[in-house]
Amino acid sequence: MVRNRRKWIILFSVIPLAIYTIIVIIPLVSSFYYSFTDWNGFRQDFNWVGFDNFTKIFRDKLFSNAIQNTVIWMAAAVVLPVGGGLTLALLLHEGIWGANFYKGLFYLPICLSLAVIGQVWIWIYQPDWGLINTVLRWVHLDQFTLAWLANPKTALGSVIIAWSWQQIGLAMVIFLAGLTSIPSELTEASEIDGATYFQSLRHVVVPLLSPATIVVVALSIINSLKSFDVVYMMTQGGPFHRTDTLAMFMYNESFKKYYMGYGSAIAVVLFLIAMVIIAFYFRQVRELEHLYD
Amino acid sequence: MTEMVVIQSKRNVQSWQRLGGAKARTILLYVIITVIAFLYILPGLGVILTSFKLNSEIAREGLWTLPKLLHLDNYKEIWTVANVQTYMKNSLIVTVPATIISIALGVLMGYVFSKLPFKGSETLFIFVLAGMFFPPQIVLIPLFKFYNGVKLYDTLWPMIITHAAFGLPICTLILRNFFSSIPMAIREAAIIDGADELNVLVRIMLPVSLPALAVLTTLQFTWIWNDFLFPIIFTQSDNMRTVMVGLISMKGQYSIAYGAQGAMAVVASIPTLIIFVFFQRYFIKGMTMGAVKG
Repeated sequence: MVRNRRKWIILFSVIPLAIYTIIVIIPLVSSFYYSFTDWNGFRQDFNWVGFDNFTKIFRDKLFSNAIQNTVIWMAAAVVLPVGGGLTLALLLHEGIWGANFYKGLFYLPICLSLAVIGQVWIWIYQPDWGLINTVLRWVHLDQFTLAWLANPKTALGSVIIAWSWQQIGLAMVIFLAGLTSIPSELTEASEIDGATYFQSLRHVVVPLLSPATIVVVALSIINSLKSFDVVYMMTQGGPFHRTDTLAMFMYNESFKKYYMGYGSAIAVVLFLIAMVIIAFYFRQVRELEHLYD
Repeated sequence: MTEMVVIQSKRNVQSWQRLGGAKARTILLYVIITVIAFLYILPGLGVILTSFKLNSEIAREGLWTLPKLLHLDNYKEIWTVANVQTYMKNSLIVTVPATIISIALGVLMGYVFSKLPFKGSETLFIFVLAGMFFPPQIVLIPLFKFYNGVKLYDTLWPMIITHAAFGLPICTLILRNFFSSIPMAIREAAIIDGADELNVLVRIMLPVSLPALAVLTTLQFTWIWNDFLFPIIFTQSDNMRTVMVGLISMKGQYSIAYGAQGAMAVVASIPTLIIFVFFQRYFIKGMTMGAVKG
């Protein structure tokens, strides 16, 4: 019986674990290895260069630029989806007729590819006939028309807003789930005690929503670390590297310039940052679970 | 007594005010939500409307007007002239097997972790789950080298294999949790009756797991269909492009044919839109469960 059980365990797990090891784990470890080499992507031979790539990283202005852009992205990724998602969730939680239709509408961008979303938003920002400038000209505010994606001042913000268009719907769903779990007696009680809507929101609803908030924040931060697709589609990191995120920078160094050793080092840094954030997230989640015990 | 009356009447006034306020509030709510909703869909609307316009119409009126007639010329153009049929076929050839394989692997692992736990299986479970949080960039260079080495570079195989492997963590997690909710006694009774583990899995577990399988199918299909990171790394020639990479290359090729670009974006989104419309319940459930994977 025990032997039989062991046989089934092995039979069932050997293929999944083999694929997982070959495609995920071994490459992960190899990236660490390549980050200590000067491999260029084509040559068979390459040299061990020790920590050279990492010392180069921390002197590379383009790297600190990519870090800076990624941090800006993260900050915006917390504010926009959390703020937008929470607002939409609160509005839709009021129980109006047709709420499901609106939920579906706000949620729809989630099923679109970031390639499509990039395409859609390029048309919003396009200088000559894009929606924003068309509207600005229409209301005679021509002086505010800009080449949104080509202007170094507005490029990063414009790309982040396009990306948030998708993330807000996801945040909204998570907040709605959180709101549904708050017993309505609590908000009603606070309103009977004379609290205004915003008082009860601040002192009752928002504190009780903190588990959902933590999930949304973590999600947004982790997703912003991976932000590549929408940048690739809209700006490719330009103008003047102003929209270079870590993931985009890693792609350019590795697959455009073929500095694969250096690219591996960037990937390693990206990976380590992601792991620190995720460890922090899990610690938070565990502490929250203690609260509910 | 008078005090009571005063308090009572004050309450009445308050509750009436509240009622009147409630109505105004509902109307205000509708106005706010409708305005937000309109602004929210406006970007998508532009693409859809433009895809039905003739190029002359676009040149004359720009992108942000209603088309006079729903012209299908752009759709005909991209379907026959551009390589869209190949792109769509490639996307299907990648997405369908990768979805099925990742779920099948997750079924096996989920069953082991929930019904056949062994010493160290919890650790192994966390090890598998960790893959959900890895940024894909960490494997790109070694995989690029690997697929080159095994002569699979510039074929559709790397996407099928890589997506199957990267889907394993989320599939394992959701199926383990689902299988765990099925009582152990059912498995034991079947084993005593002479069934083996494969019988239990296929005949007992899977038939009741359809909701979990539906969630995973919608989730995996959408992610894989929409991904374009793996295809741009692992393929090169036009004939191996998936539809999302095709959309990007079209941007160059049809740089001023906005109608064609719009039609392409619409066509590329149709499969996931269908899933969204018809399986929204499963889709939302999956997206919230697998949220962190993004």
